[in-house]
Amino acid sequence: MNTKIRRLKKKNFSNTFIIIFAVVLNIVVSLLMGHWSYSWLPIQASEAAHYVDNLFAFETSIGTFIFLGCTGTMAWILVFNRAPKYDESNGEPLEGNLKLEIIWTIVPLILVLAISTYSTRVNYKLENLGSKIKYDFGAEVPFVEEKKVFDYGPIDVISRQWNWEFVYPNGIHSSELHLPINKRSNFRLITEDVIHSFYVPAFRLKQDIIPGSVITYSLTPTKEGVFRLRDAMFSGAYFSQNQTNVIVEPEDVFNKWIKETVKKEPQNGLNPAGRLYEKRLKNGNRGWATVKPAPDPKVNEVGSEARPHDS
Amino acid sequence: MTIVNYDPRLVKTKNPYPKGPNDWKRFFSFNTDAKVIGIQYIVTALFFLLIGGLLGMLIRGELITPPSDLFDPTVYNGLYTMHGTIMLFLFLFPILSGLTNLLVPPMIGAPDMAFPKLNALAFWLVPVFSIILLLSFFVPGGPASSGWWSYPPISIQNPLGKVLNGEMLWIIAISLSGISSIIGAVNFVTTIIRMRAPGMGFFKMPIFIWTVLAAQLLQLLGLPALTGGAIMLFFDLTFGTSFFRVEGGGDPVLFQHFFWFYSHPAVYVMVLPVFGIFSELFPVYSRKPLFGYKFVAVASFGITILSLVVWVHHMFYTGTPMWMRNLFMFTTMLIAVPTGVKVFAWIATLWGGNIRLSTPMLFCLGGLFNFIFGGITGVMLATVPVDIHVGNTYFVVAHFHYIIFNTIAFGIFAAIYHWFPKFTGKMFYEGLGKVHFALTFIGATLNWLPLHWAGLLGMPRRVASYDPEFAIWNVLASVGAFILGVASIPFILNMVSSWVRGKPAPPNPWKAIGLEWLLPSPPPHENFEEDIPTVLNEPYCYGLNKPFVEDEQFYIEKSLIKH
Amino acid sequence: MLTENQNLSLNHKPGHVKHDGHNMTGFIIFLCSESIIFFAFFVGYSVLKISAPVWYPAGINGIDIKMPLINTVILVSSSFVIYFAEKYLHKKNLWGFRIIWFITMIMGSYFVYGQYVEWSELTFSLQSGAFGGMFYLLTGFHGLHVITGILLMGLMLFRSFIPDNYKGGEMGVESVSLFWHFVDVIWIILFGLIYLWQ
Ligand code: HEA
Ligand code: HEA
Ligand code: CUA
Ligand SMILES: [Cu+2]
Repeated sequence: MNTKIRRLKKKNFSNTFIIIFAVVLNIVVSLLMGHWSYSWLPIQASEAAHYVDNLFAFETSIGTFIFLGCTGTMAWILVFNRAPKYDESNGEPLEGNLKLEIIWTIVPLILVLAISTYSTRVNYKLENLGSKIKYDFGAEVPFVEEKKVFDYGPIDVISRQWNWEFVYPNGIHSSELHLPINKRSNFRLITEDVIHSFYVPAFRLKQDIIPGSVITYSLTPTKEGVFRLRDAMFSGAYFSQNQTNVIVEPEDVFNKWIKETVKKEPQNGLNPAGRLYEKRLKNGNRGWATVKPAPDPKVNEVGSEARPHDS
Repeated sequence: MTIVNYDPRLVKTKNPYPKGPNDWKRFFSFNTDAKVIGIQYIVTALFFLLIGGLLGMLIRGELITPPSDLFDPTVYNGLYTMHGTIMLFLFLFPILSGLTNLLVPPMIGAPDMAFPKLNALAFWLVPVFSIILLLSFFVPGGPASSGWWSYPPISIQNPLGKVLNGEMLWIIAISLSGISSIIGAVNFVTTIIRMRAPGMGFFKMPIFIWTVLAAQLLQLLGLPALTGGAIMLFFDLTFGTSFFRVEGGGDPVLFQHFFWFYSHPAVYVMVLPVFGIFSELFPVYSRKPLFGYKFVAVASFGITILSLVVWVHHMFYTGTPMWMRNLFMFTTMLIAVPTGVKVFAWIATLWGGNIRLSTPMLFCLGGLFNFIFGGITGVMLATVPVDIHVGNTYFVVAHFHYIIFNTIAFGIFAAIYHWFPKFTGKMFYEGLGKVHFALTFIGATLNWLPLHWAGLLGMPRRVASYDPEFAIWNVLASVGAFILGVASIPFILNMVSSWVRGKPAPPNPWKAIGLEWLLPSPPPHENFEEDIPTVLNEPYCYGLNKPFVEDEQFYIEKSLIKH
Repeated sequence: MLTENQNLSLNHKPGHVKHDGHNMTGFIIFLCSESIIFFAFFVGYSVLKISAPVWYPAGINGIDIKMPLINTVILVSSSFVIYFAEKYLHKKNLWGFRIIWFITMIMGSYFVYGQYVEWSELTFSLQSGAFGGMFYLLTGFHGLHVITGILLMGLMLFRSFIPDNYKGGEMGVESVSLFWHFVDVIWIILFGLIYLWQ
């Protein structure tokens, strides 16, 4: 009798030890993963990036903890609870446990509350999205008064099948987006045909551009460099070509660029989809149907397709 | 006395299809027997898995190098659109309808479905709309190429201006598929509500039945919204109306709401029956009762209800106002709670069991492993700031293939193996099954794990070409996809040869508890016929000494008698 | 079936319950589902109307309500009329049923006729912007349901002449009548949305 209790106690003790050890190990690995997760993301080049990455790291840690917790338990079971070859007997007939059920309803609920509170805060912090105004498509794009503060703009971002054009307050047209560093720039997002999406991975920001609506949007770049701007809402045949560069420069360089570009004569801007389509026509127009790409935009600053980008 | 060992001598007898002509021709006819229809569905669906998988491998072939060199971009767009459409509407929905048809009547002790003729009609619509969809490859201009969402305005651009075009056939096919699913749903729900065996109250139904009920209710509530949207899209495309066309004052975002109001719940329509499969199989192969039966059962309805109010998480970056984004983020994440109840219950079911790693169990374990992963990336997507970065990138593609292939297809394979002996009357080859599992697990992981990083780094989905910095992840993924292609060989081999010349199966080869296991393998035309058992307990009482049905011995012996 | 082992026997009552009453269950489930399509259209109508910069097509500031109002009264009253037809059937008064049932059909047909007249007098078309499309979609889709209802009633009328048709219950008549009420309720909402909310 006594020995049995002692043996049970011993077993309990070693079980507790194993569980504590496993939980601690899991926490350590999860924190490491969270730390590590920063390296899976592109360069942080906007104010938003920092917040998004922290949130992502937080989720990676929680996610790793849950994943390893569940799969670790499964692995333990697979190692220690395997049936011997000809053993067809039943396992321990546990039907359920109310206390456990309550715990594993409440704990995820708390986690979910924590994550959503955190990310709601980040949402309010960023507030990139301004107003979205419907207008009579085909008529002049209305001017929208942006109520939120910004330092520069508004820059018109014009998207089409399949090229980008940026129009600055002083009337410059450009195929590349130049932005002053550490200034909150404001945009009017406009599309001339279908839905596109303004997406700069290094900024961690994305906003769809809806035909028939003009959407205002603000962001603050925080790092000098060349970053890819990608269309992220499927927009037809040459969707994958609908990319250009964002160039973030110090304010004086930016101002100089503005001043010099005004003087340049408008010429044909970047339009890789147009080139591909010409090639297709030359090769006998094979392939499935597509609408014709929009003609080359007339821009003061052509930019370069070959410019190496930082991310 | 729960389980009685069968007498092996009885099993040696030949076991033709009782009470039905044992000939293969009935699988090609308008047969109203749910078991025939189930097999018709499953085989048709597997054929389309092969086609969809082939398209998937063509996609991966294009993406193994950065430039768009294998196909013209227009062709690539058509390929992935058709891949997504075929996989969802020609593979996944039909195969789940097939399993539901096979399993629901025997599991609840009904002789057949409530409306057998409608049931056959629902099935025969599948080849009809499949052919319409496949024909669209051959119309001028090619098939639909605007993604499986078919968002206007691209979907109504109609570059050639012809009335007959791929997009139009796509809409017709999807609408017919919707009609087929609605007929099926009415049938399943009626059958489950009205035709259960005596004694089988709701809390004695197998979990699979619970999940089917939850999933089919979602079909009934959600599908009509998509149908409505599809009708309006069809009018815009063909008759020049302006529901979604901005030039006439329409709103393209409205379509997105119609689409996701259904298509989000649709993902739970797909996954719920697989949850049911997990809940059926884990107890059998760990020889333990399902942990917390009632919680697992009710959690299905928690998922159903919540899933109706989360659709905007697919539209966080379309200009949705802040309050809506926060609200839908929260509801979306809440789904993790009932889902967690299920996941933890399965793990607790395994705990302390007598685990047997046969092929169905391996697929279940692999599926659960992948599901936890895919669910967690889902929760990451639900948080607005993260979704704004990774939305519409390969992170999303990886998330949903982790669930849709690495979980759901795994669960379906598990179900096919588990119930194969029951409905064909033949045993399958365990060795080939294990090879199939190993190749599938390795291929699936290699295919989808690396793509998460491509997405995090900002690689958009639906691109025919991409910047070279994403090449490494894509090469790994493509290799994984080709391994998946190879993995289908042992599977096909196993299924075909086992069915043709496998060992005859005993009524209850896995010693499982459940009404279907009290029937002969394969079950006779009307299952229990005149002697429907009276159910006493829920079907998971392994080792509990609770009898499952009245006169269990009678049914066990009856199932062993040769016909 | 138990050819070899005849001495196997049950010590409980045979469990098979005859389930014949599925049709109504199935039909009700179907109608619930069907109503969601209308719901989707109604939501679409409201959203488009609320957010549109311009709603009515050029040259139109609203639609005439007189004719549709008469139509509405007729359709709504036919829902009461059909109820009495059912009553007669319950009382096994076959001719009473047939006559009243036929009157319902006439009322329904008049509704369709009225709708046709209204359509032919309108100055805008299906292609006239979001409003034009919505108007014809909603009234047309509802009209299709009315026509289906009338055809089903015709079928039931025909079947009432088959001897012993009601031995197994009056499921068909009950379902059609339910369908008719459904069509009626949808119309009331539709009328409110399109004609009253201008
Ligand atoms: C088919 C099945 C399926 C399933 C089951 C899910 C499940 C989930 N999905 Fe997924 N999803 C898809 C299929 C599926 N998804 C598809 C096809 C798309 C893309 C469509 C397209 O764009 O083409 C998509 C896209 C998608 C998006 C949109 C991304 C975008 O386009 O920007 C989002 C965002 O919120 C999302 C979230 C979720 C969440 C939160 C779950 C949750 O249900 C997951 C819940 C599960 C778990 C969380 C794991 C288990 C739980 C625990 C162990 C408890 C503890 C956990 C926590 C406290 C976190 N999914
Ligand atoms: C059920 C759903 C399902 C399944 C199973 C799959 C499976 C696969 N999918 Fe796909 N996929 C989608 C649904 C699915 N997918 C959807 C909805 C999209 C979005 C489309 C869009 O954006 O619009 C998508 C998009 C998508 C993309 C992104 C395209 C893009 O955005 O540009 C890619 C790229 O890698 C891809 C690849 C694959 C691959 C390699 C597989 C592999 O896992 C396939 C492996 C399978 C096989 C190789 C066949 C094996 C066959 C058998 C076992 C059958 C045996 C037969 C008999 C017995 C007769 N899929
Ligand atoms: Cu349904 Cu007997
Ligand atoms: Cu969703």
